[in-house]
Parts: sequence; C-alpha cells; structure tokens
Amino acid sequence: MAAIVAFILFGIGILALVLRRDLVIKLLALGMINAASILFFISIGDRQGARSPIQLPGDTAILVDPLPQALVLSAIVVNFAILALALVFVMILCERYHSTDSTRIEQEIAREIDVEETPCL
Amino acid sequence: MKRMHVRTLLAVGIVAAFAGLVALSYVQTAPDPADSQYYLARPLSETGASNRVAGIYLNYRLIDTLLEVLVFSVAVLGVRYYLRKSDNIDLPDLSESEVVQTAVSFLSPLALLLCMFFAIFGHISPGGGFAAGVIAASALLYVAIAYGMTATEARWDPRRLAFAEKAILLSLLIFILVPAFVGKSPLTDLLPKGTPGDLLSSGSILIYNMLIAAKVFIGAWLVIAAFALHRGEL
Amino acid sequence: MIARWILLALLPVVAVIALSQPRRLSAIIGMGLFSLLLAAVYLLMHAPDVAITEATIGAALVTAIYVLAIRRTGRLIVVADEAPGLIAREGKQIVGLEYDILVGFAREVGLDLSIQFVPLRRVRWLIDHHEADMGAGGIIPLAVEASNLMSTPQHLASGVYRFEAKSLPRETARPAGIAKIAETAPDYEGYFSDLLTHDRNGTLPTVATSLDLARVLALGRTGAALHGLDRMDGSYGYAFLIAQKRVELQRDYAGYLTRLRDSGQLETLIGRHFS
Repeated sequence: MAAIVAFILFGIGILALVLRRDLVIKLLALGMINAASILFFISIGDRQGARSPIQLPGDTAILVDPLPQALVLSAIVVNFAILALALVFVMILCERYHSTDSTRIEQEIAREIDVEETPCL
Repeated sequence: MKRMHVRTLLAVGIVAAFAGLVALSYVQTAPDPADSQYYLARPLSETGASNRVAGIYLNYRLIDTLLEVLVFSVAVLGVRYYLRKSDNIDLPDLSESEVVQTAVSFLSPLALLLCMFFAIFGHISPGGGFAAGVIAASALLYVAIAYGMTATEARWDPRRLAFAEKAILLSLLIFILVPAFVGKSPLTDLLPKGTPGDLLSSGSILIYNMLIAAKVFIGAWLVIAAFALHRGEL
Repeated sequence: MIARWILLALLPVVAVIALSQPRRLSAIIGMGLFSLLLAAVYLLMHAPDVAITEATIGAALVTAIYVLAIRRTGRLIVVADEAPGLIAREGKQIVGLEYDILVGFAREVGLDLSIQFVPLRRVRWLIDHHEADMGAGGIIPLAVEASNLMSTPQHLASGVYRFEAKSLPRETARPAGIAKIAETAPDYEGYFSDLLTHDRNGTLPTVATSLDLARVLALGRTGAALHGLDRMDGSYGYAFLIAQKRVELQRDYAGYLTRLRDSGQLETLIGRHFS
C-alpha cells in the first residue's frame, strides 16, 4: 500500500518537474522524487505486526527490517546538501539571466550561442 | 491554449502508465519477507548496539556511512565556494522583537539538548548522529533569526568552524581506517562492546555518532550561513 | 492502521496542492507540510530514526534554505534603464531624481530598495512577469500600452525629440556626434543604441529616433552636434511602471507622490538635478 503511494508520489514529482516552468518549483519536485524513493525503501522493510528495530537482549518480538532504514538515513541528509548545491546553481542562473523561468533562460542561451558564431568543425 | 492542455494530459497519461507499470511489476514480485532477517538473525552482541539500525550503518556498513559523510562535505564545500563572493558583506544589525528572543532563549537550548541526546544515546534509542547534527544546526538557526546574523557570527566564527569541520572529518577517517593497520578489525574493535542497552556499549559506535553529529552540524550551519550572507540578511 | 492509511491517502493530495501553487513561497510551505506528514508516516511504519531525520531536515532546514534563496520578501525591486539625471551610476553610487524619489518611497513603505540596471526592453518584460516591482529610468509611457502595465502619475514633465534623418548629410559614413559619444561616454552607449545600430549597419535611420529630454540633454553635454532636432507635439512626462495587479503598491505610490508635490519637495529635488 505504501509502495503504491510511493509510486504515485514519484509520478507527481516527475509531472511537476516537466510541467512547471519555474526552476525553484522544479527543485521542489526533485525533492518530492527523493521523498518518494525513500518512502518506497521504508515500505519494503515493513512487516505485519512488527515493531521498531530497537531490541534489548532477551527480547524476542518480530522486528521491522533495519537494512532499508539504515540505507536511507544518511541519504536524507546527503539529499539536503545536494539540494542546497542545486539551489545555489539556480540562484547563479537567475542572477545571470534575470529570470527563473526555464523556457526564458533557454531562449536567452540560444540567443547567446547564435550571436557568438563560434567556429566549429 | 488547447494545445497546452493536450500536452499536459499526454504527460499525465505517460507518467501514469509508467508508474502503473512499475507498481504492477512490484506487486507481482514482492520481496520475500524472509530476506529481511539477514541482519536480524545475527546476535545482538556482535555489534553491541540496541538500535539495530545504528548497528548496521555504523558497524556492518561503516564505509558506506563514511562515504556519505564525504559526499556531504563536498556538497557543503561546493555551496560555500559558489557563494564565496558574499563573504565580506556588511550585514545590517537586525534582530527580532523581544517575544521572539524570549521564545528562542528556551527553545534553542532544548533543541541543543535533543541533539546531545540523539548523539550520545544513538546506539540505544532512535536518533543517531545525522539527526543530531541537523537538530543542532536548526537550533543555531533559531538563535540567528532572533538575534541577527552579525551577533551569531561573532560567536560562531565561520573560519574556525570550517577548520573544525576538517579536523572532525580527519579524525573520523583515522578512527575508521587506522585499526586496520594496527591489526584489529577496521571497524569498531577499538573500544570494547559492553552489554547492549548500556550507555558504554557497542564499541566505537558512540564515538562515531558524536563525530558525525558535529560534522553534520557544522556543515549544515555553514550552508545556512552562506545562504544568509548571500541574501544580505537573515 | 487506520491512521496510517489516512495519512498515506493524504500525501498525494498535499503533494499535488503544494506543487501546483503559482507562488513560490506557497509551494515551499506546502512542501514543508508534506515533509511533516511524511515524517508521521515513517513513524507509523516503525522507522523512528528516519522519521526524526526527515522531520528536522524537511520541515526546518529545507524550508529555511528555500526561503533564504527567494529574496523577494522585504524588498522593493526596481529595474531601471540608465538615464542621466534621473537614475544613473556614478562610480559606486547611484544618483538622480528618480533615485531620490524611490529612496523616499521605499523608506515610507518600509522595504529595502534594490535597483538593477537592465536594458529598456527588459524592464517591460520583467514587470510583465512579476520579477520586479517597479520600472524606472526615464520611461515615457506612450499612449498605447500593454494592458497589464500601468504607469504611475508623472513626476517630471518631459518631451519627446526626434532626429529627422533627412537632415543628416549622406556623405558621412558615421555621423560625427555619434562617434564622439562612443568615445567620450562609453557608459551612455546603451541609450543611443538605436542610433548606433543603424550606424553600424551602414544605413541611416529613415524614421526618426525619439529620445526624451534627459537623454537629449546628456547628448548635448557630450558636445555632439544634433541635427534636425524637432520636438513632437503633445505633453509627455516621466513616470514609473508598475504591474496592473499591484493595486496596493500603486495606491501607496500615488499617495506618496501627491505628498511630495504638495509639500514642495518635488520641486526641490528637480531643481537639484536639473538646474
């Protein structure tokens, strides 16, 4: 069930990434894709009627699989740092082209390339 | 206008079909629950950590965690490099109203306490070094919001923090890799594993949690400071 | 069990709402709410470590970083075309009549003034797309304007001057005045780009180039010889550009300008720059 919601969120993230023009919203959509992937990881470790993976000696309850959680834990923090880096690039782009509209930036870049007339093979 | 709607519907249709296919294939080949017992089948005394998750990412898969910390450091380095031109800006001396300052004066130490709890008890209860570092960074963020960036920078000098960050990274590397040269297992054999559930158990996991907490705290705070300086105020 | 299903069903709804917001700030806050819901879901799926980490990072730090990156709050963003006497750079400072007016206005509404110099055609585009609050720089709104731009009340009367091409001698490949401008005042090259483009192509403008009063005065100060200067009929005046939707900003500015005019401060400012 949660896996299906993860796929739906992934789809929503991709749609927002493609359909929205604003670069900042595109970054938010990438964050959503991250969140969907992490939700999927957590959901495959979950079992019926299990408990959190904290176990004292002598405890014999069924535990949730701890491996996906371990994989995902540091991924969340690293995603944050990478997101900050991507946001810095968006800020630099915006200062250079005075816009956060991706279509507009593409047009400006195309215009610059046209004007320069660099020699090519 | 009509063309844009058709394009949107087409995009939605394609993504829905893709997501549906993936969901279908997942449902048909669901993972075997017995696979999940690989790490749970191992006895608790192997790692000594009550928190099974900490036992995995700080014992069995320690090098993974080390590389993640490295990636984090590189990202922080990148952010600071690209925002370096705003290093010497004169910030306005802003600070918020007394209400905010009073609120922060008891919220921020609470957050710091939470950070220390997660870092020190990370191998017994949920938490761990990463969450601890992030909570400490947000505690400092509250202080910066309430008292202004200049006052915060005066007490937490970014140059010294950057130096401390590198020192912590170096000591983390040493802790992890040196035991291999000394003849012990290159993971957590440096300190003894007590009984699980005690504070001083699980070998070096305690040290790793604290080091990672400090590292993530400094990294996240430097990123926030770089953004705040670039903006010109907090 | 039920709580988990309710939260899981709520997640895509919040996601769609958050990512379909037109304003960036609303989308950021929506994603913060999404993060909190996600943390609750992680908790209900027996993953407390992940829940704590996601809650702090998604709700506190990511939102803080995005808000710090979006600089619109608290600023009055003005995009200006450089116009001598009205708003121009001199070394590190900005001087001019419009600059003084804008400084007073920003102080009154309690915002920080932030001025960017861009070419004239960008000014209109930026205001159209809500990237900037006001447009300045010796703009004379002519009769036919785009429907979503509105100009403020005029602050200084001006005129529109045309150069008649017929009067320029055809032999000169490069009219003398233009050459002098390009040499002595390279900063001003932007204003006279029409003339210079025509000059570069080797043709002479058949339709006259219109310049407003401030730029004509600047041209005159560089010592260029102006041929066939002709003033167009009609009353024109300098004004700022504000988007049609910013009703409050327009109202604030109209009130501020009336106060300036009534108290005589506008006269003083004009005298200081255009004596």
